[in-house]
Amino acid sequence: MAPHIELFLQTLIAGILLGGLYALIGLGMALILGVMRIINLAHGDQMMIAMYVAFFGYDLFHIDPYISIFIAAPVLFLLGVGLQKFLITPVLRVESILPHNQVILTVGIGMVLSNLATVFFTSDYRSTPVSYATTAWYLSDYWKDAPIELSLSLPWTVSFVFSVIISTLLWFFLGKTDTGRSIRATAQDLDAALLMGVNVQRMRMLTFGIGSALVGAAACLFIPIYYLYPALGKQFTNIAFVITILGGLGSVEGAIVGGVILGIFESMTSTYLGMGWAPAGRFIIFVLVLIFLPGGVASLIKKKRLAR
Amino acid sequence: MKRFLSVILSTIVFMLFGGNLHAADFELAIPLPLTGSEAKFGEIQKRSYEIAAAEINAKGGIKGKRLVLRFEDSQAKPETARAIVEKLIGNKQPIIVGEYTSSCAKAVAAVAEERKTPYLVVASAADEITQKNYKYVFRQNATNVHYADAVVSFMTEVVKPKTMAIIYESTNFGTSGAEDMDKQAKKLGISVLVKEKYEKGAVDFKPILSKVKAARPDIIYMVSYVMDASLLMKQIKELRIEAKLYAGGAAGFAIPEFIQNAKDAAEYVVTATLWFHKLKYPGAASYAEKYKQKYGDYPSYHGASAYSAIYVIKNALEKAKSWSTDDIRSALKATNMMTAYGPVKFEDKDGYQNQNFHETFALQVLKGNHELIWPAKYATAKYVYPIPAWRDRR
Amino acid sequence: MKKYIPFLVLGCMALLPLLGLSDYLMHILILVLMWSVIGMAWNLLGGYCGQVSFGHAAFFGVGAYSAGMLYYHTGIAAWWGMPIAIVAALLVALGIGVISLRLRGPYFVLSTLAIGEIFRIFAENLETYTQGNLGIMIQERTWVEKAPYFYIILGIAALTFAVVKIVVQSKWGYYFVAIREDQYAAESLGINSTLFKTIALSLSGVFTGIAGAFYMNYMGYIDPGIVFALGDISILTVMVVMVGGVATYWGPVVGAVIMVFFSELIRSLPTIGSAHQTLFGILLIVIIIFLPNGIAGDLPKLIRILGIGRKQ
Repeated sequence: MAPHIELFLQTLIAGILLGGLYALIGLGMALILGVMRIINLAHGDQMMIAMYVAFFGYDLFHIDPYISIFIAAPVLFLLGVGLQKFLITPVLRVESILPHNQVILTVGIGMVLSNLATVFFTSDYRSTPVSYATTAWYLSDYWKDAPIELSLSLPWTVSFVFSVIISTLLWFFLGKTDTGRSIRATAQDLDAALLMGVNVQRMRMLTFGIGSALVGAAACLFIPIYYLYPALGKQFTNIAFVITILGGLGSVEGAIVGGVILGIFESMTSTYLGMGWAPAGRFIIFVLVLIFLPGGVASLIKKKRLAR
Repeated sequence: MKRFLSVILSTIVFMLFGGNLHAADFELAIPLPLTGSEAKFGEIQKRSYEIAAAEINAKGGIKGKRLVLRFEDSQAKPETARAIVEKLIGNKQPIIVGEYTSSCAKAVAAVAEERKTPYLVVASAADEITQKNYKYVFRQNATNVHYADAVVSFMTEVVKPKTMAIIYESTNFGTSGAEDMDKQAKKLGISVLVKEKYEKGAVDFKPILSKVKAARPDIIYMVSYVMDASLLMKQIKELRIEAKLYAGGAAGFAIPEFIQNAKDAAEYVVTATLWFHKLKYPGAASYAEKYKQKYGDYPSYHGASAYSAIYVIKNALEKAKSWSTDDIRSALKATNMMTAYGPVKFEDKDGYQNQNFHETFALQVLKGNHELIWPAKYATAKYVYPIPAWRDRR
Repeated sequence: MKKYIPFLVLGCMALLPLLGLSDYLMHILILVLMWSVIGMAWNLLGGYCGQVSFGHAAFFGVGAYSAGMLYYHTGIAAWWGMPIAIVAALLVALGIGVISLRLRGPYFVLSTLAIGEIFRIFAENLETYTQGNLGIMIQERTWVEKAPYFYIILGIAALTFAVVKIVVQSKWGYYFVAIREDQYAAESLGINSTLFKTIALSLSGVFTGIAGAFYMNYMGYIDPGIVFALGDISILTVMVVMVGGVATYWGPVVGAVIMVFFSELIRSLPTIGSAHQTLFGILLIVIIIFLPNGIAGDLPKLIRILGIGRKQ
């Protein structure tokens, strides 16, 4: 019995921690997609750039990746604002038959970003082997006669905690500050916001910048647990999409809950069904949510609130 | 605008009719992945090809002609690889060498065979490539089936395990590596308790590792390309999975980045490899040192194979009666030489054609470095077995 | 005169193999034609009917695997896979239709993206049927020369072009565009949007599936990562049409020429080496910004920019 419980609990823990990280990766996209309805296929590549910032911070200046959040996030913010101002806005402004030009634009941006990284940084795999990379807390160290062994990895837990902190800060920002409310207003109804005097252009730039900064923070939290190479963007763009839809466009709470649900789901599928199927599960949830719960988890949360 | 158009036009003309260099040069264009997720290995190969070419030219070239290398990026996409090779054959290049992934090698092999142009495979492991009765396709590196020969021998003679868990990446390489280990295990009476695949680049292996932990296997055998290897070991350490031995199926486990990344989690891990820089093959040490001086790390077996392939080609070109594709093919077939990569002789045996069967080895990470531990006669250090438990390590 | 252009182009294309072009160029041309087929098929659904799919790899892969699995499991020549591909693609289209067509805007786009990936993962994991990542390889391709393949794909392309033209110029085409412009208004006029979206999706899927079956036969090797690829198939399809010109007859052809031909050209440039993707990405961005309806779609604007044509 004990091995089964151990397996289940360890899988659950892994899922929750993974979910926290996923949530942060998806949060940026959820914001951008929710506020601006822009599908950003370069999201993962932006994350890759932030990871390089963190990597060089570590490699050249011995800055711990977690500290690099304070460097990478602003850098990505500027990058995001720049992309929005110089590339995305011109595309959005033009009348075209299909409004999907911006998606192709982001494909082009992603291509340029990942190729420039290959040219300048080479395709060598990089990592930040910090000293605490494999440190973990073990249940048996604290409870001498534990029937099962559980381990809690230090870097994973730190990422989770940071994720929660950052998301909470974001939630406050969006809910309690004027700028935050203006952003939400732009998301809910563009014309109404304009009429209410919101500088919509500015809000959109700000949103893209914040969304990019979020993915920059996620990158720093992620690099100690993983590794880095120029082509890694694509899979994280996919994950971000799933979180965004699962959580509900533009919703911070939704993204967190969605992220954790996805993390747990993937972990459980990996253990009990086979890891090869886990990515399929990710997309199947995606489609199911699209069909049956288009507002994502956020709509469930709202329903509960209204019902009270 | 006009200049732009004329550049385009001249490039088209160049493409249509092929460029021609001095008659005193022999141009060898090589397809390999320079961008995309396999770019790392393409780079290792490119650097090694270049070292070999420089050496050969310093000694007078091939039959007095200067060897000029050109690289074409296939991006690890089979259609692009195929297009490149068709272009090269159209330009009358009489021999093809290169490519890294098995999918690209398969596409190139099919074209080479159709166009009756000899093709030398240097790194792709999928067995089928030389099992199709192709006359023009030659492979210098051992196939997937043989990658783990030394590891299996080490296991049977030293470790004597009863149970095993196999974790592998879902690519061509991982799948065939895992299948072969599965078959070997069955033949040796080792029961495979868990056999799980994962998608390359996965972030969290803990669920599947927890499953492995619950099964308590004697050996955990992993097949992965690159960084997945270091992540696997890091997470095994985190979960404190105690197995008698951790073994890797070459590739990701045999490159320096594995140790740099997994750090202490890599210690005592055994892996299969096709080549090691401390082997006493002629030219191996000098090639390895040259590479290390220029690029910072010792080269992996992919580089060594690429390096030696140029010498094999030089040998074939020198022994061939003429430089027609059929004469080069015959010369290649008759190859029987010792290179920095090891012995190269193309045989038709066991259902393979034109395959070079060379010994493979087992490395173990000892004190933060790869050492060759098996077969014992080539060992550069004594193996450590049994290995200390995670709990007992510092 | 304009009416005869398609026939003229077809005639010229048919004569091309006789020019004795290199195998390499023929290969590129065959790929251009194949991508024209996929582009035209996508354009019917996306450009004319307004349903932008980022998952056309699902159809392409299903077509390729129909041919591949037939060959692998029964040994019958993979060409017979084409009729099977048609049926399979149709079924897939109907399935996707039921799931996705009720979704609007970015949701539809994302759902197609997800479905494409689901197909890829299923193909990877259902090893008994598809051989998973080991792929399917044809031992001996039907012809060594390029010409037969060229004529086959030229025929398929001509057929696709004709079908698209006929459909778009018929009442159906009118309904498609109405749905694209304003689905609710169309419905209020009595147009059954679900029915016509499904028709567009089915036609689109079937022709893409045929292209997939052709690919299996021509390239001789497929695996899930190649034929169900998000970036190399689905996104490339969208780029072909959006760069070439949405909702135009020739747009996809122009797009195929650019995406295949030009990208190959840039890739082969001697000194640029590995920076070719950057150049190509920049080219893409520039085209999207200045020619939002693609080259064929914004032809007048393009002519103006390039300074060709009469000065006003």
